[in-house]
Amino acid sequence: MSDIALDKPAETFDEQAAPATQVRSYWQSVFYRLRHDPVTLFFAAIVLLVVLAAIFAPLIAPFDPYKESIIARLKPFGWKDHWLGTDELGRDMLSRLIYGGRVSLLMGVVPVLIASLVGGMLGVVGGFAGGRLNTAIMRTMDVFYAFPSVLLAVAIAGAMGGGIGNGMMALTLVFIPPMCRVAETATTQIRSLDYIEAARATGAGTFKVIRYHVLGNVLGPVFVYASSLVSVSILLASGLSFLGLGVRPPTPDWGLMLSTLRQSIYVVPFVCAAPGAVIFVTSISFNLVSDGLRAAMDVRM
Amino acid sequence: MSGKLFRLLSIAAWVAAMLCLTGGARASGVLTVAMTAGDIPVTTGTPDQGAEGLRFVGYNLYDALTLWNLQLGDKPTDIKPGLATSWHIDPNDHKRWIFELRHGVKWHDGCDFTADDVLWNMKYSADDKAPEFNPAQFAQARAYLGTYQSVEKVDDYTVAINTKVPDSLLPYEFAQVVMISPCRAKEVKYDWTQYALHPSGTGPYKFDKFVAHQRLELVPNTDYWDKNRVPKQDRLVLIPMPEASTRTAALLSGEVNWIEAPSPDAIDRLKSAGMQIVTRIYPHNWSYQLNFIKGPFTDKRVRQAANYALNRGEVKELLNGLALEEYGTVPPTLPYYGHPIEYKYDPDKAKALLKEAGCMPCKVTFAISTSGSGQMQPLPMNELVKSQMDAVGFEVTLDTMDWNALLQVTREGVDAHPEINGINVSRGSQDPFNALIRHVWTPLWAPKGANWGHYSNPEVDRLVVDILSEFDSEKRLDLLTKLHEKMNEEAVMIFVVHDVNPRALAPSVHGFVQAQNWYQDLTPVSVSP
Amino acid sequence: MIFYILRRILYAIPIALGVSVVCFSLVYIAPGDPLQTVMPPDATAETIEIVKHAYGFDKPIPIQYVIWLGHLLTGDLGMSIATRRPVILEVTDALANTSLLALFAVPLSFIIGYTMGAVAGCFPGRWLDRLVTGTAVVGVSLPNYWLGIVLVVFFAVEYSLLPATGMGPSGSTNFHIFEWSSARYLVLPVFTLAMIPIGILARTTRAAVAEVRNQDFVQTLRAKGLSEFAVIRHVLKNSLPQVMAVMGLQFGYLLGGSILVETVFTWPGSGFLLSKAIINRDVPVLQGTILTLSLVFVATNLVVDLLQSLVDPRIRRA
Repeated sequence: MSDIALDKPAETFDEQAAPATQVRSYWQSVFYRLRHDPVTLFFAAIVLLVVLAAIFAPLIAPFDPYKESIIARLKPFGWKDHWLGTDELGRDMLSRLIYGGRVSLLMGVVPVLIASLVGGMLGVVGGFAGGRLNTAIMRTMDVFYAFPSVLLAVAIAGAMGGGIGNGMMALTLVFIPPMCRVAETATTQIRSLDYIEAARATGAGTFKVIRYHVLGNVLGPVFVYASSLVSVSILLASGLSFLGLGVRPPTPDWGLMLSTLRQSIYVVPFVCAAPGAVIFVTSISFNLVSDGLRAAMDVRM
Repeated sequence: MSGKLFRLLSIAAWVAAMLCLTGGARASGVLTVAMTAGDIPVTTGTPDQGAEGLRFVGYNLYDALTLWNLQLGDKPTDIKPGLATSWHIDPNDHKRWIFELRHGVKWHDGCDFTADDVLWNMKYSADDKAPEFNPAQFAQARAYLGTYQSVEKVDDYTVAINTKVPDSLLPYEFAQVVMISPCRAKEVKYDWTQYALHPSGTGPYKFDKFVAHQRLELVPNTDYWDKNRVPKQDRLVLIPMPEASTRTAALLSGEVNWIEAPSPDAIDRLKSAGMQIVTRIYPHNWSYQLNFIKGPFTDKRVRQAANYALNRGEVKELLNGLALEEYGTVPPTLPYYGHPIEYKYDPDKAKALLKEAGCMPCKVTFAISTSGSGQMQPLPMNELVKSQMDAVGFEVTLDTMDWNALLQVTREGVDAHPEINGINVSRGSQDPFNALIRHVWTPLWAPKGANWGHYSNPEVDRLVVDILSEFDSEKRLDLLTKLHEKMNEEAVMIFVVHDVNPRALAPSVHGFVQAQNWYQDLTPVSVSP
Repeated sequence: MIFYILRRILYAIPIALGVSVVCFSLVYIAPGDPLQTVMPPDATAETIEIVKHAYGFDKPIPIQYVIWLGHLLTGDLGMSIATRRPVILEVTDALANTSLLALFAVPLSFIIGYTMGAVAGCFPGRWLDRLVTGTAVVGVSLPNYWLGIVLVVFFAVEYSLLPATGMGPSGSTNFHIFEWSSARYLVLPVFTLAMIPIGILARTTRAAVAEVRNQDFVQTLRAKGLSEFAVIRHVLKNSLPQVMAVMGLQFGYLLGGSILVETVFTWPGSGFLLSKAIINRDVPVLQGTILTLSLVFVATNLVVDLLQSLVDPRIRRA
């Protein structure tokens, strides 16, 4: 506790400990912890960078990601303004990686978002209602839990014939059961707490109870878990594209680029490895930010 | 004691030395081939997995009545006697072909080959009322039995094949209909799954081992009827490896010593590792078959514009030089190439044609695949073609699907897919029927045949009938040339490039002569230790 | 106790049924006709009807499901459209090959992951902990198929130390685990596959060890005068159950999720079979593989649950 200076005897103990023991609201303490966590802040900055780059792609990409040039095929880093070289059709790698972020982030975030909403809702409803409804919901979720996630995603995307829409749907279906379970567990824990009983005893309507008490306490775990799923979703989505079940060419996408560049690995190995590095950096950043959030929000899973 | 030991050792040394010496003169080595096929071709007759099926399995385990002469490298191939020693058309009935069969041929299981076997095989492939009928074989052989009607036995070594219409090209078709052993089939009581594990044919190789999805091992048939084609390797191992980079890695790490279709970008690396890269121009075309019912390509000017829009040199560069510019369905090495219009890269002319036709911008959709037998590097090639066509005023949309799905679209024909303006399906074109007729003859409109876009032209139809009824090969050559030139002038396809059949061989592989054909003869190949 | 076991097993049955419904319906959410790959090129309408009837596609869907289920229970998963071999044969052959990978990957990941996690858990907050945690996070954030590609390029192509693809000189039939000539084919795929489990196990172990260390009985042991070394031994022993549970689940994940790694190494396992079935639209194989893999996963979960509850009766899930 560096805040406590032992060589200042004039102050009372309370005064010395003030900064750390100040009474804060929940969210204020969350931000306090985050502000003092350099690792999380650093990776959050990376996430922000990736997201901004994807959003402002047309402004910052040096070249047109679709422009091909036969003479400029498979050039190494730094060749003629192509900082990260060119791909098998002569397109600028850096631009394609920046634009690729759009698809990859889309396929990473949207399924998690939808799964959080749908799964979260199902979990809250089930957890709050209890009894038969809860059992019905959870058992159905258990059926989907019976599939390893990669298998389920590949099976659904494969059966539907691939493409970005089907890929996102497959991922959403994969994430709904775990989100539902997290929400249900949190809701069940809250529900049995006395103050919910007290609220209901005072005549508060069910919806009001849910909104004010349950949701507030469920959102925390759901949010943290969702943030950890984004990194998994990005990896799964790139895996689907790698197998040919994601976006179709010539749309830039990191997983698809890895697959098509695999053939050229003997010509420019580092260029071909670049999409993998980008996937890695994005995924690990989301992962570490999620860890940081969990620690800051003091959520026990 | 030591004396005896010494003598024993010296005898052993002598034996070893003798073995080494004679070993050098013997057939040697194991040839391990990595195919582009996704799986091992079936061994129950005419195989699946496209042309690789016939190339590596069909023609190795089996023979057909006629065979492709794959022993010449520098001349285009033609058919030669196989299980039939000669054939001629019945002078009194132009719908009846007479085949004289070879004497003294034995199946791998020991039974003798006679005319009854031919009859049995035709029932196996085509007669759905016969007990030996195999629907899978039917599906595979169908493409080559278009005009086939029936077969009769004339005597123990002569058969007559009747056709629905006069078909002078029948012997070419029958080169793809391989014959399996009725003896073995009856032994396994027509259980085709069992037969597939114990196939028996007349071919230069015998079946040895099969591990599903992983490898097929064949060994030489030392009693083969053509003594010049008894295989010179000890063993032929076939491994399916659909991914080009995997094949390259396998060759570089020494796991295999022969790979099909290496990725063009890996060629330099392979060369620097000492691999032999063999290529040869052969009848194959990579093109787009067009929609003649609906859409911009119903107008000849638009079709020609598309052909003028292509910078085929760039496509060739994309493939590291492993291609030949294409202006017709066959390459210049074939005798009926003639003098087609060379649609040299001329974007201005293309623009002018489009303007004349009133198609600006000209929106078209192509159905393409992600991979496939003979499709070369479909994704980059299509993207390049798209950008070249877009540059002159087209607006190309690529509808990507997997190979089987694209083949399904091809089979169903344009009526089921009117919104698709072109399909990118590559074809082998070594015989006139497959090169020319099947794409433009009206009776062969898909789904009945391979005329996907329903092209119809009475002049062309007349030409085709003339060709099929012309049994004099000189006169027929003239007609074939006319047909090829007409197809080129009509721009019935968007012609892009011919493949050059690249393969990479380890330095220890010798004796391979690459034929100008989809199929290849592996029997003369040996592998030094 | 017996009741709990029985109840747990009984509970797995509706799950298995639910899994079968999902697998069955995969065919029907697929675009296009399931029949397309069977048909000869120019099939007449009559031929199509005959084939439809032979495959049972002309009956209403619920009836088809019941028939399919009936066949399933007798072990008949149909015939592969591509190879015309019985699907059950294809799947069991392939599964055996994947199990080989999983069988090696799990102990490897346990040894490495557990050691890393134990070290990190015993020295929380220090640089060793950060190193381990960092490595673990890298392990779960790296696309494992990409790592596989890199390993192949380095070890197989550039330096020819290890083979690039496949299962060996004679494929899976002559695979001798204890001979280096066969076993060398295992090295790269197993390492690639073990990457994610190592990360997960390291994190789980670290959390478990850190938690156990904070429990009261540890203080008691110290107070009794045990050496730090002995205390650590106790801590590790007590953290094992949680880790074992996760490891058991990892085995199931590896069996089901090996498709990417198997594609890179052309390892003839169930994942590779699945990707080929998808490409070929070989519906019976697709259904059969997914069904088998999921049922194995359900069975693995069941076994892990039961073992856990046997070891620690406090852990019981309804």
